Amino acid sequence: MSITDTKPQLKGQNVATVNIFRYDPSTTDEAHYDSWQVPITGSMTVLDLLFYILEHEDGSLAFRYACREAICGSCALYVNGTYRLACKTQLKDLKATEINISPLPHLKVIKDLVVDMDPFWEKYERIRPYLITRDDLPEKEFLQDPADRLKMDDMVDCILCGACYSSCPQCWTDPEYLGPAALVKMNRFTVDTRDQANQERTKIFDNEHGVWRCHTIFNCVEACPKDINQTYSIQHLKRRAVARRFGGK
Amino acid sequence: MSSRRHLSELRGNSDLYPRNVRTGMYAWLFHRITGLALVFYIILHIFVIASVNFGGGSFDATMRLLTSKPFVLIDLTLVAVVLYHSLNGLRIIFFDLGYGIKNQRGIFWALMAVGTVIFVFAAVASSRLLFRA
Repeated sequence: MSITDTKPQLKGQNVATVNIFRYDPSTTDEAHYDSWQVPITGSMTVLDLLFYILEHEDGSLAFRYACREAICGSCALYVNGTYRLACKTQLKDLKATEINISPLPHLKVIKDLVVDMDPFWEKYERIRPYLITRDDLPEKEFLQDPADRLKMDDMVDCILCGACYSSCPQCWTDPEYLGPAALVKMNRFTVDTRDQANQERTKIFDNEHGVWRCHTIFNCVEACPKDINQTYSIQHLKRRAVARRFGGK
Repeated sequence: MSSRRHLSELRGNSDLYPRNVRTGMYAWLFHRITGLALVFYIILHIFVIASVNFGGGSFDATMRLLTSKPFVLIDLTLVAVVLYHSLNGLRIIFFDLGYGIKNQRGIFWALMAVGTVIFVFAAVASSRLLFRA
């Protein structure tokens, strides 16, 4: 039985033309875009669309997803010229009858919409994204003042989808640059009153591949599907680095 | 069955070359371009001023050339380049001091409006040289 046997009929429905980037390293085929006509229902998301194609058109389509509720950061894609999470982007919000779906630009494509995120994770690891303490840990919870917690409100929303990393011209040209996402997380731990490794942290971001590579281009802010202002965090780290060099803390 | 368009056909307009270029990216790109143009201008400026080394007559001749109509137009371009570079430079300094990062687009367009007003003033001031008999 072919997978097209259960395919719904297109009669009387809104139909969208969907172009999806395809690349399979196991074949000799060049990278190309495949086109399909897909029936659109009211609250259909880009991820639903990908499932539709996987189930009814082409079972070999590769894409990443996990939570389906914009919290895992797996499904960041480049849809109609903008960085978006496939799971939270409703087709009606795209306001287009033709939908172009590409993998995250400027990252190595593994297959179809799946890109190699290793450089991204390597940078994330380098900033030591965990609480570092010198003193003995408290026996119960590690209490924090609500006012202090509020300081990192902007940064904790990051789901590490990689959209900002993929959009940043400095990341395209400097493979060593930490990138917006890692620096946002760095700022999250720098402003955390419980963290006691500010000296070591400053050494990681206060160099030419750290905050000083950022030229306030704001592509990351435009790209972020969680509306985080990465530049705000990076500029905060820059001021902290300057303060340290002038003999501050 | 799907229909195919090959990437070689799409190269010029492929989504792998992001088109999500917005205010901030343009501001940065033009800042770089105007910066290079100004470096070029400084070198040119040194050569022009150096004509004074070949006597006052030589310098006066250079000055006459520089007040001719095509050079007034070039000078106006220079005013635009300097205005852009300095005003956007102010914007970048604001960001380094921690101000206005969350309102970068508004600041950009506000400064560009200021730049336009100054440019119009410069153009009116130089019109005496452009429209003389």
